Amino acid sequence: MIAIDQLCYHSKLRYENPGEKFAFAGITLCICVISRTIEVSSVVLAAAGILTVWKGGVPVSRYLRFLTVPLAFLLLSSLAIFLRVKEAPLDLFALPLGRWYLTASRDSLAYVARLVFTAMGSVSCLYFLSFTTPMPDLLEVLARLHCPALLRELMLLIYRFIFILLRTASAIATSQRCRLGNKDYRTSLKSFGLLGSALMIRAVARSGRLYDAMEARCYDGRIRVLSESRPPRKSVIAWIAVFDTALFFFALWRKFCG
Amino acid sequence: MSDQIILKADNLYFSYDEDHSHSLNGLSLEIRQGQKIALMGANGSGKSTFFLCCTGILKPQKGRLFFKGEEFRYDKKSLLDLRSKVGIVFQDPDNQLFCASVYQEISFGILNLGVPPEEAKKEVENVIQQLEITPFRHQPAHALSGGQKKQVSIADILVMHPEIILLDEPAAALDPRHIRMVNQMVDQMTEAGITVLIATHDVDYAYGWADEVILFQEGRVLLHGSPLEVFSNRPALDQTNLEPPAVLELFQALARKGILDGSQTPPRNLPELKRAIEECPGP
Repeated sequence: MIAIDQLCYHSKLRYENPGEKFAFAGITLCICVISRTIEVSSVVLAAAGILTVWKGGVPVSRYLRFLTVPLAFLLLSSLAIFLRVKEAPLDLFALPLGRWYLTASRDSLAYVARLVFTAMGSVSCLYFLSFTTPMPDLLEVLARLHCPALLRELMLLIYRFIFILLRTASAIATSQRCRLGNKDYRTSLKSFGLLGSALMIRAVARSGRLYDAMEARCYDGRIRVLSESRPPRKSVIAWIAVFDTALFFFALWRKFCG
Repeated sequence: MSDQIILKADNLYFSYDEDHSHSLNGLSLEIRQGQKIALMGANGSGKSTFFLCCTGILKPQKGRLFFKGEEFRYDKKSLLDLRSKVGIVFQDPDNQLFCASVYQEISFGILNLGVPPEEAKKEVENVIQQLEITPFRHQPAHALSGGQKKQVSIADILVMHPEIILLDEPAAALDPRHIRMVNQMVDQMTEAGITVLIATHDVDYAYGWADEVILFQEGRVLLHGSPLEVFSNRPALDQTNLEPPAVLELFQALARKGILDGSQTPPRNLPELKRAIEECPGP
């Protein structure tokens, strides 16, 4: 998560209008999920990947490594869909297990393949968004989309305080290790519990102090901040429109005529 | 310099734990407009509590506070009004910065004052330039160094144009370069006519910078006077665990030896002391 956060602040696409990036990722994601075909998903995966790596400047090796993260989950869950235990063997293959067969059909193979591709295509869209758009920019888009203010303010505070919490936790953990807090399994369990309670207490104290500090700046229950994003560019919008329309018709064609 | 009293505290009592112990214990003081004031005293002597009382975050259980002669009132509107004039920079910037974006962070206070966005934008840009925040303005708050966070937390307050700024140990945990930057910012505030109160443990800085020094002890004012008066008062310094400023000590030692003229006004910083030594006739 922190790696993604660092990447997006260094992305070459960071200063593009967040609305454009959000629209591209969102619309492409929808087309990809609704069409559920290998061809459309491949196009989406390629387009989002190329944009993230080439335009965004994320190193290829890191990008591929990030892609493998959901892949592990995906393969495990698709095994569960793919393999059946039945009395009668199916058409793809069958392993006899006593009276039963561990078996799979050609249809389910095609289904799983579609599923994997669609999932990877969708993930690449979301990666595009999270590798190029810092959280504060996303919140501005959400504001534009009339997402409730309470929700956005919570996200803003949580995002900021995740990092403070992590830093505090790692500082406490380091100081525990310096005092042999992990010398054996029992001690490390105990240290971990203490770390949890210390974090809790500090988080509560910190939230009180933060509230004081916000009150001192005339906080009245609403967080109002200025937005800094650049205005959208017509050429970019046109490109997104062209790409997504083409993708949409391609998806229609694959769905009904392919 | 005007002699108007901008802030007045009259016999304040405050306790965090229902009267078992008092953080403020009959504190009375007067602050004149445009002054540079150093608050000094041991940890737990009530400096931070006093600051929180000055912005109406804490309400003293007894005693009265006045801003420009008007007594503090604690209804919502009066508090907002008060806080638009009294700014406070907290000791730990991580308790103050709540936005991941530097720009949004600075814009928070000024938008709360009801300034229209266009004007607020200009103000934020100005303060970003003035406090040299531009090099890291696009970085997320969690990637900033301690000194950079301090710069942003000062910008947070300056952008609101308060009449008085309270800084709670602004130099704590900063490297020398950032201490210098903070000191310059403080000088800019004074030039802009802002009354500045600094809670600090740095006697040398307080001696050289302040117009007045206030010694706190156990929730009360032990001594309030010019830096020379306060730092020449050995018993008071001992009671508050403070050492006299090095420049003053050295000057007095040299004066006792007859090397420097003890009747002249003591120098307030190292360059002044050096000049005094260079100007003395010599053997």
